[in-house]
Parts: sequence; C-alpha cells; structure tokens
Amino acid sequence: MIYFITALDAEARPICEHYCLKRDRSLPFTLYRNDAMVLLVCGMGKTNALMAVSALMGWRIPKEEDILINIGICGAPSDYLIGEALLIHQIIDEDRHYYPDILFTHSLRETSIRCVGTPQSTLCDYPVDMESSGVFQAASRFCKLHQMAYVKIVSDHCTPESVTKEGVIALLHAHVNMLDSLISSLKAIPKPTLLFSAGERDEIEILKDHFTKSQSDALEDALTYFRLKHKDKPLSLNLHIPNSKRERSLLLEKLISSLTA
Amino acid sequence: MKSSSPPSPPKLFSHLYIERGVLEHPQTQRIRAKFADSQVILIDHYKEVFNRPAQSFAAQSGSKKLILARKEGKFLHEGSQYSDGFGTEQFFYASSVMGCLYDCDYCYLQGLYPSANTVLFVNLEDAFEQLRPYLGKDTLVATSYDTDTMAIESLTHQTLRWLEFAVEHEHLHLEIRTKSANFKALKNTTPSPRVTLAWTLSPQEIINTYEHATPSIEKRLNAAEEAIAAGWNVRLCIDPVIYTENFDILYPKLIETIFATIDPNAIEHLTLGSFRMSQNHLRALKKLRRSDVAFYPYSVSDEMATYPEAIETYILETLMAKAHQYLPKERIRTWQRQL
Repeated sequence: MIYFITALDAEARPICEHYCLKRDRSLPFTLYRNDAMVLLVCGMGKTNALMAVSALMGWRIPKEEDILINIGICGAPSDYLIGEALLIHQIIDEDRHYYPDILFTHSLRETSIRCVGTPQSTLCDYPVDMESSGVFQAASRFCKLHQMAYVKIVSDHCTPESVTKEGVIALLHAHVNMLDSLISSLKAIPKPTLLFSAGERDEIEILKDHFTKSQSDALEDALTYFRLKHKDKPLSLNLHIPNSKRERSLLLEKLISSLTA
Repeated sequence: MKSSSPPSPPKLFSHLYIERGVLEHPQTQRIRAKFADSQVILIDHYKEVFNRPAQSFAAQSGSKKLILARKEGKFLHEGSQYSDGFGTEQFFYASSVMGCLYDCDYCYLQGLYPSANTVLFVNLEDAFEQLRPYLGKDTLVATSYDTDTMAIESLTHQTLRWLEFAVEHEHLHLEIRTKSANFKALKNTTPSPRVTLAWTLSPQEIINTYEHATPSIEKRLNAAEEAIAAGWNVRLCIDPVIYTENFDILYPKLIETIFATIDPNAIEHLTLGSFRMSQNHLRALKKLRRSDVAFYPYSVSDEMATYPEAIETYILETLMAKAHQYLPKERIRTWQRQL
C-alpha cells in the first residue's frame, strides 16, 4: 500500500486524478483510495496531521513493503525557485529534529524544513511547512524511517497571501509524474523477505502448541536457522507427537539437532 | 520495449550528518572536501540521528551514512573477556568510530547499535590525552575493536595518528586488527616493534556467505604478506570460526592456503577462536533475522553464548593440530571460555 498525505484538497486533487483515486468514507477524515493507494487529506497544521495520520495508520497498519509520501506546498527563502520540488532530509520543529532515512537515489534538491504553527510572512533560513513534523511523529510509530518520504513544492517566498487554490493544483499537477519515479525508488529499497510461507507458519504454530514456551522458542530458532541456512529446502514437520512429556522433549531435541546439523 | 533496471542505492556516505560543534574541526573539513557531493545536514548531537527509533539496520546496510561528532566521554575501555590482551599489564580498546563499513553477519555491532550508519569521532586528540596517564607501564590498545579502522583509513587517517602517537610512547603497544586489503595506507610509515597488524582470515566460502563487502582471502593474505615484507609485526587470526557442515574441509584448507602464501616464521602468532557473543548482543542479532549464525543452538553460560563445549573443543583441537604442522604451539593462541 502507498500512503499519500496532503494537507489540502487542492494538493490532493492532481494525485487523485493521476492515480484514479476514489472518495472513501471509512474514516472521519477526507480519504481517497484505489486498490494499491490511499490518500489522506489531513488538514492544516501539526495537530491535525498528527491526529489524522495516527487514525489512518491505526486503521490500515502499514506493512514492511508499504511506503508513505507526505506531499504538499511550502514557503521558502528566495534562493529556492517557485515550483521547485524538494526532498526533506531534516524536519525542524522548534528544538525537536526528525530525520527520514533517504536510502534511494533521486534527482530532487534535498533540504531541511522548519515545521511551524502558522503561515510565515517573514523569510526563514529554511523552507517552512505546517504538517511535516506531525506526519513524521505519527507515521514513525508505524513505519521504519526509510519507508517515508517528505516532498515539498515551493509555492511562495513566504508570501502566503499569494497562494491560491488554482496555483496549488497547478504546482502539484506539474510534479505528479515525479511521484512515479519516487515510488519506484522507495520500492526498490531491499526489504526483509518472509522466511516461511503462510502454510508453513500455520504448521509451525500447531507444532509449537505441543511444547512449553522455552521449548517452542528453541524450536522457532532452529527452524529459522534451517531456513536461513537452506533457503530452498522444504520443511518437514509432519510428526507424530507423543503424549508423554518426556518423549515430547526427546522428540524436540532430535528435531532441533536435525534442523541445526 | 525498454526494460528499466531498478534504481541503484545511493553512493557510500551520500549524506554527512555533522554536529555543529565539530564543523570547524580540521578532520571535518578534510572529510567534507573528500565528500564534496554529499548532502550535509547539521545536527546538534550525533545521537539524534544514530539513536533514532524505527531505523532498519538491514535497509541502512546498503546505503550507509556518515555522522561526524565529538566524543564527550571515555574513548578508552578496558579489554573485554571476549578478547585476548596478550599478557600486557594494561589492555584497553579505543572507541573512536561506531559502526563498520563491513557487514559481517556474526558481528556483535549489529546487536550493539541501533543503526548501520557510521559515527566518526573527530577529536582523536582527546583519546591520546585520556591515555597519557596510563603510559607509565606497558599498555596495549586495540584500535580496531568497535570497527575496522583500516577499512576507512583513507577517510579517517586515525591509524596513522595512532602510529605517530605510539612512536612517542615507549610503553604503548597497539593492535590494529582488520579484514582490509588496504595496506597501502601504511606503506610510507616506518614499522614499529610495538605495533602489531592483525588480519582476520576466513575461508572464502565463509567470506562469501557471512562477511559481506569484505576483501577476499587472497587480497587479505597479499596485504599481510606486504606488511611482513615491509617489516611489520603481523598476527593472523582465524577468529571467529563459524562452525558449518564443511568445517573439516574449509578451515584446515584455509590454514594450508595461509601458509602457502605466508612464511610461518614471519608471523608473531596465529590466533584461533570459535564464535562467541554476549547473550544480549545475540538476542538483538536474532531480531534482525538476517543470518543463520544468530540462530544456532549455542550453549549459554554467564551470559556468554558459545558453541557447545564438545564442538568448541573439536574446532580448536582440529585447527590446533593443523596449525601445529606449521607453527610451534607457543605461537598459536586460542580463545576458549574460562571454566
């Protein structure tokens, strides 16, 4: 699943059109979905972002292969071009700093960003937005740091009164194709593979039920050893489980020895 | 139709996280110049990056970042029960780098640190100050304990700085342990009789399976041979031995390979030791689920995981007998649990 987080409907609209996302009313927040993606419009500000992202992630808990992209507009110092897309490597929220892990190559300009409480009319040292730290704080409870990317498009040089709905739609529209390559880069980061198939996992759990907690932990370790060592060998767990506790312990001992031989 | 290949990972140290306090340090400036294309991110303290929750050690291993920082506390720590102090009166290891460029499945660093990134403490001069009071008597310092310093010598120059410091202090002995083939970093340095370069050696099959991103056995042996020819004290270490189904073939063959390249009379010692790790580090290693090494049914006592005694003894006896074909027993050192 790919999670998009925007603050405004105007930021969401070009993405919804590009990926054919449809309105979904499962949560008390504005959501759009297709089979592979969900877009959340969290509203402006850190608190709204924190609440809405927490609700989304609690509703659809991300898996290791999922990614999250927070995309939206930002104000920036004058050495940033209007319309330039920025990839954020540091989010500064007063004295708290947050760091997404950028483990992929890309062609965007990287920068730090200040996450502020109100629209900024005076130039800062870094670009400014109002949601990134809230998104980060909520999402990092559910995702690893390399599963997230924060993309901000410069809408103004700290003249928020100049930003219009139509202007925001145009800015996002100009970058929707960039999202395709960003998604493929994020997806290319190596992920841990599942060691056991669903069927094997069921068999393992049934087998473990016959043993004490420490015995089943030892069995789990031995099975993991076997699978990591012999990636293509099938597991053979079709065992007759004796009733006697002593015989079960002996069986387990033999099984662990054969798995780790 | 054009097929698109997956995007490549960023180059090594694509991002430099630099503590504001060391921005002007000469080491920082030299490293910044060397990585002029890397993103520079200013931070207050290395822990805000290195100790972040929700990092993935496995994912970061393919795209390591560099953190430049000031070490505030102790650089020197007493040598642990897991390593050999070679009978010197005082034995310390220096912790001037956290994390390692190499990615060995059995390494305790994976269990020790929350991040695969590298922290380089640039204020090595403070380590020397901390060491001075101890240098009235023979003192061994292992400089490559928490990292492979030779692997990043071209970046850090820390080994050269240790060697320069050792020249001035007659009681200071250094052990510089490595898997690196980068002997050329020391080529222009005069060998010191109080400094030992120690190479960790493994069968090529073990290197391929468990020692990712490390030089081949051939390259390591060539580097050791060069060091001997240049006049350095060299120690060879088959440690840790990873017990596998082919142990009986792989490790004796390794000893034959070693002494087909290296003159046994030219080395200080051969060190033999089977895999061991603290129970806490092993637990953390298991969580990563990266390698079978973490899941072997080790015998645990006093919080130390080792192969069961019979296997540990078998490993050491087998290798001791083989090594004894080339070396007298007093030049073969072994690590075994103290019972």
